[in-house]
Amino acid sequence: MHRLWNRVDFAFSSAWQNFWRNAAVSIASVLIVWVVLLALGSLLLVLHSLDQIVALEKTKASAISVYLADTTPLSSAMDFKLHLENDPRVTAVTYVSKDQAMARFRQLPALDPSVIDTLGTNPLPASLDVTVRDIRDLGAIDQAVRNSPLVDRSPATNYEPNVIDKIILLARVAGIAGLVLIVGLTGLSVFIIMLTIRTAIYLRRKEIEVMKLVGATDWFVRWPFIVEGLFVGVVGAVVAVLIVGFGYRPAVVNLQSVLIFVPLSFDQYYLRLVLAAMLGFGLLLGSVGSYLGVRRFLKQ
Amino acid sequence: MAALMPVVPLISLQGVHKQYPNGTVALRDVTLVVPKQDFVFLVGPSGAGKSTLVRLLIREEKVTAGKIHVEGQDLSRLKRRHLPFLRRKIGMVFQDFKLLPNLTVFQNVAFALRVTEGALRHLKPKVEEVLSIVGLEGKENKFPDQLSGGEQQRVAIARALVHDPKIFLADEPTGNLDPATSWEIIQLLLQINARGTTVLMATHNREIVDVMRRRVVAIEGGQIVRDEDAGGYHAPALESR
Repeated sequence: MHRLWNRVDFAFSSAWQNFWRNAAVSIASVLIVWVVLLALGSLLLVLHSLDQIVALEKTKASAISVYLADTTPLSSAMDFKLHLENDPRVTAVTYVSKDQAMARFRQLPALDPSVIDTLGTNPLPASLDVTVRDIRDLGAIDQAVRNSPLVDRSPATNYEPNVIDKIILLARVAGIAGLVLIVGLTGLSVFIIMLTIRTAIYLRRKEIEVMKLVGATDWFVRWPFIVEGLFVGVVGAVVAVLIVGFGYRPAVVNLQSVLIFVPLSFDQYYLRLVLAAMLGFGLLLGSVGSYLGVRRFLKQ
Repeated sequence: MAALMPVVPLISLQGVHKQYPNGTVALRDVTLVVPKQDFVFLVGPSGAGKSTLVRLLIREEKVTAGKIHVEGQDLSRLKRRHLPFLRRKIGMVFQDFKLLPNLTVFQNVAFALRVTEGALRHLKPKVEEVLSIVGLEGKENKFPDQLSGGEQQRVAIARALVHDPKIFLADEPTGNLDPATSWEIIQLLLQINARGTTVLMATHNREIVDVMRRRVVAIEGGQIVRDEDAGGYHAPALESR
């Protein structure tokens, strides 16, 4: 116990001294770790949000809302509904009244209900929500209903052929760009941690010489520097974790109020995973950097 | 009389060659046996190979050919992870003391125990014991730059003694000291030797070697040119008396 405590005490107090003895370099390495982890955490959350959107769009994809002109009487709308139901490509048609459309609209997250009340009249059209057997038929249905006099003109339907493809492409581009950025920053941060450790070793060269002379083991000499590297990783990670942890919910809420039709949601479970990944990655950066730092000088 | 008894010598070198990577040959065919409790002066001009011999004994360098045994252990077959334990058997002091300037006398000596994971409970009595051997009681809280050269070398000697070494290697320990102080250090080494520790001292100090009349091993050009008990700094024929 005494020996273990001595080893731990020596490693931590030396690491602490090392950190402050070359404070400028140490703080630079904390900052770079912080930047890497912030980028990593943000990227994971952005990609996750895009995934959420894609998933929701896919469930909506087999349906199309046909907006009815306000002048269309209910009986004509019902005839039109029946006509559509007889189409072999269609599996179901639901009528949504103006009031139901408004009720749905009110359900959108982050929309202030008082704003809607100031509108006075209900601007939303009634619609026929048509579900098709095969997504590829959506375009044809859209073409078929678009020119009917019963249908509203602005817009006629909510058919947007490429929206999912666009989101998937966006996610892919963001993912690749983010990955390239993170790989680059990771290399840079490992390099800077390595330099920090080398500097610490240089400043302690006399102690190390004496330690080897009086018979300290290689690991006893190494530990303070490994601990210092881990410390850099942990401090950078903790700062980044706090920012992402506390910043994610406000960011989602703000985006929801700007992009009111985009189905963003706050995912507590995924956030925890991301924060754990950030902390783990910070420790990894610290240990790899310090391992590379101590590797050479201990070969003697 | 010792020669009649088949004992394992503490240190033995057999046909040791040392060539550095740059091609310099530092030692050639050196054979030397040092029994327990011996006191040996290593003499010879600068660059003769004395320091190389010292470095080979603590395995800071490896032999190019030949064998070195310490307590019967073959140093060329010693694994790197066992090296620290060899170093704990060998106390070393140098011309430049190698003290840590930001630590006190007590801390400098205690450092050697801490970094070799000596149990902290025994640290204080052990440090006090070795400091009293070298006669530095009362100076525990001084820093090296508050001490004279002789006192600094005593701190270094105390530090070398904390592991109760079997071998004490001194590389020019009086090189930076005035004659009176040098004699004090030599007295201390004799005391250490009298307590049962084998002492090897590399030196240029002709006066000391001549007066002491101990075993002298002279090295020149990487070879042992003379090995005599109760010898002088120079070979008898060259001595002017």
